[in-house]
Amino acid sequence: MHPRAATVTAHRATVAVSCSVGVGLAQTRLAGPAEAPVHDVQTDDSVDLDRPWDVIVWDDPVNLMSYVIYVFRKVFGYPEPMARKLMLEVHQRGKALVASEPREQAEHYVEQLHGHGLQATMQRGS
Amino acid sequence: MSGHFRRRGAALELHLDAFEVQLLRDLQAMVVEALDHADIADPALHRLFPTAVADDAMADADLRAMVFDSLMEGRRAGLDALVEILDRGDRGSKGVRVVLHDDEPALVLGVLNDVRLALGARIGVEQLERDALDDVDEARVQGLAIIDHLAWIQEQLIAEVDPASTVHYEETRDLE
Repeated sequence: MHPRAATVTAHRATVAVSCSVGVGLAQTRLAGPAEAPVHDVQTDDSVDLDRPWDVIVWDDPVNLMSYVIYVFRKVFGYPEPMARKLMLEVHQRGKALVASEPREQAEHYVEQLHGHGLQATMQRGS
Repeated sequence: MSGHFRRRGAALELHLDAFEVQLLRDLQAMVVEALDHADIADPALHRLFPTAVADDAMADADLRAMVFDSLMEGRRAGLDALVEILDRGDRGSKGVRVVLHDDEPALVLGVLNDVRLALGARIGVEQLERDALDDVDEARVQGLAIIDHLAWIQEQLIAEVDPASTVHYEETRDLE
């Protein structure tokens, strides 16, 4: 998560009006959370389809701590202490389980979280 | 400028220096272009439309396809609103002053986040170590400075939109 708001790195660069923000720089990661393994897994449809899906939020270096709390409150309606606890879990452990729901509801949450810029994935609960 | 926002009854007044207005216009255009091109090799696009299902490539592709249009629509609406807000502001010698109504503060908060995410992806922020920037090229360091500057504006906005979400960083320092 972004360390804090006022960590302006201005000792080396002042915020310029026109900077080369559009330059294509070396890209090392293509998509999604670095720690989220993305590989083909044969899904066994005979497994319990009622099993809930886990919604995981992954840490990233840009989203602010306060913004993540705000999003958890807004998307899930969680009370502030719970939203704050989950944010700290993301920050300290790199990820947090934020909801466990039937597939459709989990998809809705992932969409909402992506709409707010959080890196969220869902997976069938274990 | 010490603060970017002032309460005006139910509304919120936003103050931006001229350089900040230009910066936001440039970044807005950058993100709009990224959305227009929708190039899957563009890290900014990947960051705004990330992996949705872990461990199941097919389900991931399905869900991402299913939510793509509405996410795209939401992002464009926010980016359009930002330009409209900047355009209608009162221009003074120091910058722009504009009153935000209804859901506009939350909208601006989301757009600020999107442009920070897109810029962060373009400069490869995930691979940057903040205490080892000496050998990093100037464009990336400058990008980081912009991300930090907009974070400061975002923090002030969160304090207005949802004060309960505010984080006092001295309380979390031990956790770093």
